[in-house]
Amino acid sequence: MFSALLAAALVATAAPALAQPGTVAQAAEPNQVQGLTVTQGDGFATLAWTRVEGASDYQIERTALAADGTPGTPVVVGVWRPNRQVNNTEPTFADAGFAPGGRFQWRVRARFGTTEQPYSTPVDGTTRSHWGDPGTPGENLRTQWEQTLGAQYTSDVNEYAYTAAIDEASDRVRVVEIGRTVQERPINMLVIGYPKPPATPEAVAATNPLMVNCNVHGNEPGDREACLIMARQLAFTKDSQTLGLLGKTTVLIVPTINGDGRAANTRGNSTGQDLNRDHSLIRQPETRALAEMVRDYRPIAGYDGHEYGNTNTGDLPMLPPRHQNVAQGIFDQSQDMIEGHMYGRGAEDGWWACPYGCTPGANVGLSEETILRNTLGLKNVVNSLLELRSSGGPTRPDEGNTANNRRRKTYSALWTFTEFFKYHGANVKDITRVRDEGVTSQSANDGRIVFRGSRKIEAYPAPHPGEAPPPVDAPTPDRILEQAPCAYRLTEEQYHGERTDGPAGKRTTVAQRIAAHGWKVVKVADGYLVPLAQPQRGLIPLLLDGQAVEGLVAGERIAPTLTGTHNGPLTVSGVACLDGATVRGPIQVRSGAALIVTGSSINGPVNAADAAGLFVTDSRVSGPVHATGTRGPVVLVGNELSGPVGVSGGKATAPLLAGNTVAGPLTCSGNAPAPTNLEVANTVRGPKTGQCAQL
Amino acid sequence: MPDTLVPGPRPGPASRAARRRRAATGAALALLLAVTGCGGPAEEERAGAQPTGSAAPGAVAGPLCDALPSGAEPGSPASLVGRPPAEALAWIPVLTMFEAAVRATGMAEELAAAGGLTILAPTDDAFRATFSTANLDRLLLSDTETLRRLLREHLVDGARSAAELVAAGSVTTRAGTTLTVTAAGSGARLADKAVTVCADYRAAGARVHVIDKVLGDLPHTADEEDQHH
Repeated sequence: MFSALLAAALVATAAPALAQPGTVAQAAEPNQVQGLTVTQGDGFATLAWTRVEGASDYQIERTALAADGTPGTPVVVGVWRPNRQVNNTEPTFADAGFAPGGRFQWRVRARFGTTEQPYSTPVDGTTRSHWGDPGTPGENLRTQWEQTLGAQYTSDVNEYAYTAAIDEASDRVRVVEIGRTVQERPINMLVIGYPKPPATPEAVAATNPLMVNCNVHGNEPGDREACLIMARQLAFTKDSQTLGLLGKTTVLIVPTINGDGRAANTRGNSTGQDLNRDHSLIRQPETRALAEMVRDYRPIAGYDGHEYGNTNTGDLPMLPPRHQNVAQGIFDQSQDMIEGHMYGRGAEDGWWACPYGCTPGANVGLSEETILRNTLGLKNVVNSLLELRSSGGPTRPDEGNTANNRRRKTYSALWTFTEFFKYHGANVKDITRVRDEGVTSQSANDGRIVFRGSRKIEAYPAPHPGEAPPPVDAPTPDRILEQAPCAYRLTEEQYHGERTDGPAGKRTTVAQRIAAHGWKVVKVADGYLVPLAQPQRGLIPLLLDGQAVEGLVAGERIAPTLTGTHNGPLTVSGVACLDGATVRGPIQVRSGAALIVTGSSINGPVNAADAAGLFVTDSRVSGPVHATGTRGPVVLVGNELSGPVGVSGGKATAPLLAGNTVAGPLTCSGNAPAPTNLEVANTVRGPKTGQCAQL
Repeated sequence: MPDTLVPGPRPGPASRAARRRRAATGAALALLLAVTGCGGPAEEERAGAQPTGSAAPGAVAGPLCDALPSGAEPGSPASLVGRPPAEALAWIPVLTMFEAAVRATGMAEELAAAGGLTILAPTDDAFRATFSTANLDRLLLSDTETLRRLLREHLVDGARSAAELVAAGSVTTRAGTTLTVTAAGSGARLADKAVTVCADYRAAGARVHVIDKVLGDLPHTADEEDQHH
């Protein structure tokens, strides 16, 4: 994986044919590019050279060399422009598209306006062959795309065979089926760890996994081929740095959720639904499979692979989750991954990452929560969109050749996913911190709700990318709800009623979709409550509020029932919602009642026996908290609790205890399923016992 | 993965560079004929093409040929000689839309019909220049009757070389449309609209000519949307 680091840079030498008898060294001509080096990567070669003062751009020329060194026809394969990289003082260009393993020579020349300056002396080198020793079982596997030298993309059948062969040959890889498409094609995922991947989703979730979603639009297949190659590299590499990273986490690669669209060469699935407009609504089995995977495996970071038709953009347009309901830390960290890591590493290796849109007036990259980039952000996953520019455009003029074009796209995706893995490894503490903050801040249900509207992304300082930041896409007043409700109430019909959206025979109810997202729901006498005091708070109103732009169902907004001070005992029957309240006295939640507490202070014991649900977030409780035999969810997130805290005999759903500080003891017993913390640890000063011993 | 995925290298044409030189010569000659204005059909035929059956296996011609698999590469013209037409289409990398359309309409058998067929296959760029992505999805997924008619606008009975099409002067498609055919460099211009950009792939019982425009009269929808992630 990281053998690029080991590759020797080939220093410019005068080609023998050009050497004059008796000449020791050629004198540089005016404005001739000097210091050209070529470093081989997987499917690309990084050219670097010394900047020529006054150059407006550079042309990169590549010439194939026959076995005996005879040069073929020179081709200008690249144009370097100043907006290409953040660091203009050390220009680089990732040349790609050539068939792996070939021998070439490269030259670079500056242009002043349109006036061409002299070419550098050539540098030759042999490019890397397809990754993996052809004589070593496992390593010698090749995809259909590799075998056909890019003439064909890997078919569904070949994907299944290839990934099964990797699984068979490597202890590090397990292929799991996470769902089926409308046409019943398996949707597979490679679960990759070292020396082997954890056995269950829950165990994987404990390793801070990262995910790559490789193919959403069936007619954008470039990223998927990179994923299949990366899976082989991770399965068989001997690189100690890679294995070191892989030993600490789990890589989740989903080659294609849209197998039907890939087979038909359509953007949508077999019903024509654009799956990247369905990740919140999950009308389709493909998006539901991915949502359930995210719920169960809990990746902390992700990339979502696409291709983009604008020929004037960079090689690799990227964008973070921008919806304003996404936690600030998740947005910031995603931006750091893109601007802090990818832009800088791109400048070193010669790839041109840019903020999606990348050119003025591109009305793309907005706040639709239906788009995976935003959906994942709303689920507290640091992530980015990745686009591969569809055609070569003016900066890669040799891509009329389809194979060249396909290879450039796929190897640029491979570079990105590899860098993503490295970024994750180097920043796992920061990523988990913002995840923790996201879970606790969302669960606090504090602040306004925005139905549509993006965080602003400032233009990166010129010259990179120079042209334009993504559109502002600020929320309009009618898309803002200043006072967030405490919960939404759905009727039985809304919750369990038959739907008309989604493919016939595979339609799902609101209840099933909410379950796929992993939201906590309280069954009450007159329906179903979905409290906002939970980790996906930013997503809930986008589906359940009547004001939502692409809502699922218009639930009834439940306002807080107490926002001031209450002195004396408080007995809850029915539904009580305390927001920013102060209670001086004991709280008793009666059998079948539900209590939701956010941002409040309680001086006294909280006792819920046989309650329908108990939610306490972002609050301070001086006194014991006991939930016994709760019929629905127990959610305790981001609280300061004096303790003792006891959760026992819970039914139907796993109690969530995350990010709390508990001064006293924490005891859990007899809950089925057992309590979880979503990997957001609690600070417990007293003893932790029973089912909560590890929380 | 099984090696059978790859049509094995077969005796191919000369090197890519040689083929490029040959194509350039042909183009220059055709240009000369056009400029001098004395290039009658007979001369065109001598300059641009050879009768069916006598050309080297896999000799294709047109400006796009250089950008497609050649020589011993998988999908080269020589490797496709004698393959069923639908299979051959899957090896020509600029034809992913056309090939998907053949599968979507279940027309593989029709392409292999007895008596031979000429397949005028528009490139992916041609499809994208004509139809929006949403329109293409609609054609491929639900409006396959329209798609079938569209494909038949690109099928002509009898396996004919580009030179034979030019010599005929006009042909009738399986959709019933009459296309005028004139010479265009070493290839053919169809309905004064499309030109062959890599002509004369030989599949079993069929000639495949890659063309640069979509034929037929379906509405142009390419400008209707800004496709993005």
